[in-house]
Amino acid sequence: MSTAKSAQSGNGNGQQTPASKNGSADSAAEGQAAQVAGEAGGRRATAQSMAAKQRDISVSEFFAKNRHLLGFDNPRKALLTTVKEAVDNSLDACEEAGLVPEIWVHIEQTRPNRFKVGVQDNGPGIMKKQIPLIFGKLLYGSKFHRLRMSRGQQGIGISAAGMYGMLTTGKPVKIISKVSPRRPAHYYEIQIDTKKNVPEILNGRGDGVDIPPGEEGRKYIAEHEIEWVAEIIAPDGASSEVKSGTRVTIELEARFQRGRGSVDEYLEQTAIANPHVTLHYLDPEGNERTFHRSTTTLPPEPKEIKPHPYGIELGQLVTMLKDAKGETLTQFLTTSFSRVSPSVARNICETAKLSSRAAARRIGREEADKLFHAIQETRILAPATDCITPIGEELLLKGLHHVVPGEFYCAATRPPAVYRGNPFLIEVALAYGGASSAQRVSLDVLKQLLHESDARTLRQFLLNTFDGVGSDGAERIMKEAQIGTRQSPAKLKPSEVQRLLTAMRNVNLSEGQSMQVLRYANRVPLQFKQRDCAITESVINTNWRPYGLSQSRGSLPSGPVSVMVHIASVWVPFTSESKEAIASYPEIQKELRLGLQTVGRKLGMYLRRRNKVKQEGERRNIFLRYLGEVAGAVSQLNGASREELYQQLLEVAKRKTAQADVKLDDRGRPIGEEDEEDFGGNVLIVPPADPGPLPNAAGPQRPAGERTATTQSTQRQLF
Amino acid sequence: MAKKKARRQPAAAPEAAPDAAQLTAQDHKTLDALREMADGVVDAAGRSRPPHLDIPSRSLSNVRYNKAKRFIEMGRGTNRRELFNLSQAKSYMQTMLVGSGCKQLIQQGKTTSIRGLYYLLKHTIEGTREETFDDQADCDPIIEDVEVTLNALREELHVYASNRGSMVGNVVVNDSGDEIDCSRMGSGGYTIPSIVEPEVIRFVKVEADFVLHVEKDTVWRRFNEDKFWRKHNCILTHGQGQPPRGVRRMLHRLHHEHHLPVYCLLDNDPWGYYIYSVIKQGSINLAYESRRMAIPGARYLGLRSKDFERCSLSPSVTIKLNDNDIKRIKQIRNYPWFENKPAWKKELELMLRNGFKLEVEALISKDISYVTEQYVPARLQDEDFLD
Repeated sequence: MSTAKSAQSGNGNGQQTPASKNGSADSAAEGQAAQVAGEAGGRRATAQSMAAKQRDISVSEFFAKNRHLLGFDNPRKALLTTVKEAVDNSLDACEEAGLVPEIWVHIEQTRPNRFKVGVQDNGPGIMKKQIPLIFGKLLYGSKFHRLRMSRGQQGIGISAAGMYGMLTTGKPVKIISKVSPRRPAHYYEIQIDTKKNVPEILNGRGDGVDIPPGEEGRKYIAEHEIEWVAEIIAPDGASSEVKSGTRVTIELEARFQRGRGSVDEYLEQTAIANPHVTLHYLDPEGNERTFHRSTTTLPPEPKEIKPHPYGIELGQLVTMLKDAKGETLTQFLTTSFSRVSPSVARNICETAKLSSRAAARRIGREEADKLFHAIQETRILAPATDCITPIGEELLLKGLHHVVPGEFYCAATRPPAVYRGNPFLIEVALAYGGASSAQRVSLDVLKQLLHESDARTLRQFLLNTFDGVGSDGAERIMKEAQIGTRQSPAKLKPSEVQRLLTAMRNVNLSEGQSMQVLRYANRVPLQFKQRDCAITESVINTNWRPYGLSQSRGSLPSGPVSVMVHIASVWVPFTSESKEAIASYPEIQKELRLGLQTVGRKLGMYLRRRNKVKQEGERRNIFLRYLGEVAGAVSQLNGASREELYQQLLEVAKRKTAQADVKLDDRGRPIGEEDEEDFGGNVLIVPPADPGPLPNAAGPQRPAGERTATTQSTQRQLF
Repeated sequence: MAKKKARRQPAAAPEAAPDAAQLTAQDHKTLDALREMADGVVDAAGRSRPPHLDIPSRSLSNVRYNKAKRFIEMGRGTNRRELFNLSQAKSYMQTMLVGSGCKQLIQQGKTTSIRGLYYLLKHTIEGTREETFDDQADCDPIIEDVEVTLNALREELHVYASNRGSMVGNVVVNDSGDEIDCSRMGSGGYTIPSIVEPEVIRFVKVEADFVLHVEKDTVWRRFNEDKFWRKHNCILTHGQGQPPRGVRRMLHRLHHEHHLPVYCLLDNDPWGYYIYSVIKQGSINLAYESRRMAIPGARYLGLRSKDFERCSLSPSVTIKLNDNDIKRIKQIRNYPWFENKPAWKKELELMLRNGFKLEVEALISKDISYVTEQYVPARLQDEDFLD
């Protein structure tokens, strides 16, 4: 494996990978340079002396120096990137093999600022020969050269994580992989030789270790303290053997932190976008948390496609022409590209004024340029879009409902579109409202939580126990309850508990909250560079006011709303290698806008309707309140029977309010019958009466059983 | 309301018993009107229709200056008040309550202040935490609504406003059976009651030659102390700024029944002009009472914009016009009843040009009794009035 080759493949991508800058000029030029240097005298260096220092740069050396390009800029992000790369690879492998993914993520602190990350899957496993290359060589993988929707694209991620671990801790990457329960598992400890970008195997005298299957192997694993999860435990308690799979363990310098951009957040968001995945997560503090799958159906297998002629660049075209074997130009065009039929190929050749029978390999620079322009001028069908597999509206709803509490959910999947010849697809899901768990807790549960809590102050208790209570919210709750902030939660008097409960119910926690935007690319959550991302930009540029949210110019709308946006594509245009933000292509922006508007309209309908229901109630209330007074006054004035009059007025009131409901909406506009129709499917409304999951003192864990996402039936109940 | 109601029921019970006070013919008329209003509700409810009231509108758009009668009249415009309208439900309920309150008063032959009526009707609505009336400001306009709707005067509803304004002079009145000689009222004067109808007040002897109405109590005291009314044989009144109904009604009766000219001594500012306008043509809010209140023959005696020069006042007693004043002057200038009066136009122009206003008290800078001994006598002598 030469470095040159891998560097070249980097070039093909058009990315800024370090091509070897071998400025080895020919000797004549060098001689001249020497002369000039001699004349000038006192030159600092000569071309010869400089040439001595000019040499290849290995891709691994380059990334070792520029680790920020891959998302290792700080210890906190390094931890996340490591987990992320490993999990992404695992999911890709499982899905490609058609296995329902079961992923274990274990993070363990070994020293201050040093963590051991272990990620295991139940995937197909890796063949023995490939293991060192996949984990110990940068830019090695199956995903780069094909156009197929997958999480990974480059083949840098996991080996870069291993390299980072090695650089910061000196510990090798440990891999154990098993292909079948009857075949031995392979165990490797690998380091990257950064100078050569080749793996170095440390154990088994440079050959790795084979662990035999069965009891013997189990003993070996236990003896050598190799980490391996051997059993899958289903939510119902049944356990089964892990038949195949891979586990990678990397020790690295890192920092564990909760909150934004944390591993917790990443896994939570991954669970939303991948409802077919079960994630077992053990954090450094020893908390175990499991995200159970809500479906066992795998997403359909994405198809691999050939590049579309519109997406190609001149340089790329030239390279492809050179690589062509003895084909005619027509043959070359039809076989290398998608959507090019012989007649289209003929059209292209005619426009380029080239013979369609010319040998593709012999096409020169200038002719290639003509060919390139001819391609742009010829009408070619947009690429086939069946190569993209969306999450699907139903699963989006399930996933979002699973993780984000709310009362209204809706989702929209846009039809596929094309940017620069690459098909892509936008999906948007939205969750609205949802009282924070603090508002749904009952007195008994609150008492129990207070009793169990180990928080020192009430403030801490509120922050740690309940979802959606920020420090501001906690402050307001305690002010309303008139309880001191430093009060110990276990020592509250019953009257104070009662006050606390009332305050928790009454304080509006959603006030001043701004929309949460969850971004995904090929089912991978994006957690950084929110501001630079085309998705955030589109959310901000969408006018949410007509949909019932308040929004100030140039910022995210406010309200208890979460929006999830997924872009699926065979080639996701990231703004950088660390895959943190989507580039703003106009085609992508347009699709984003349309998707956001679709869910926005549904949200607007829901909010208007909810307001109307509320208003109707209020209106009836107001009338009822005054009817008694009116009847009393009138009967006093003319001696009419108060009761009879009251009943009569009540009848009129009922009729009158019902009438008004039909005729007018909250803006006083008449509502047509068609507006009374449903939301057009893919809407989930959780009736507010639903007590919802009770908060768990350990964390925002949601029981797996309550995911009953029916779209239409609940909605009918409400309206 | 249950509790309140229970307590109020016995109070309302005597309505059936005829032992209530003697009802006058006017009272019967008012009661009929009230009953009619209630019948409308029963009728509507019986036919399953939403009940409503048509209340004559008391706004600038619904008043008209009657050039022949020379006062402001109310137009025919009405506002519909519906029970089943979110924004009107409460005021509808309040209107009915005021009606029932007035019935109680009439039947028991008692009168109360508007504040008293407010307390009579204020209670918590049954089953809520809401009050029928939040404060008196809620109640007062409703009382006026009932007045215009029933075409009944406030007195006819047995409701009165607080007393304000005093009178002194060569006149003897009989107030509810007590004979009062207004020339022997000391320094305080006779307080003009809010109800000045002939049933309450009869004029026994009116010997004065004219009425001088001043704006404020402080000026009135000056005149009273100097016994101006004795010297000039007049009646001296004040209304503490905008004169209340009682004072206006008193002036009206003196003017119309006893043909006494009415002269007004008011501040030289937009507010003073407006007071004059109200006395002369009636107010927009009480346009329906103009025929009993407006005194088209009233005359404006002072202060005039030209008085600064005429009386050679010091600039230090002037008050600069503020933006509000200027706006108000322009408004007044456009009132239809000022339109065809070139003298007034000139007056207003001059004030704008002066850029300041003058209070009557400013004349004290000349001499404490300048106003009573020189200013007013000189105007009366010259008959230098504005119409």
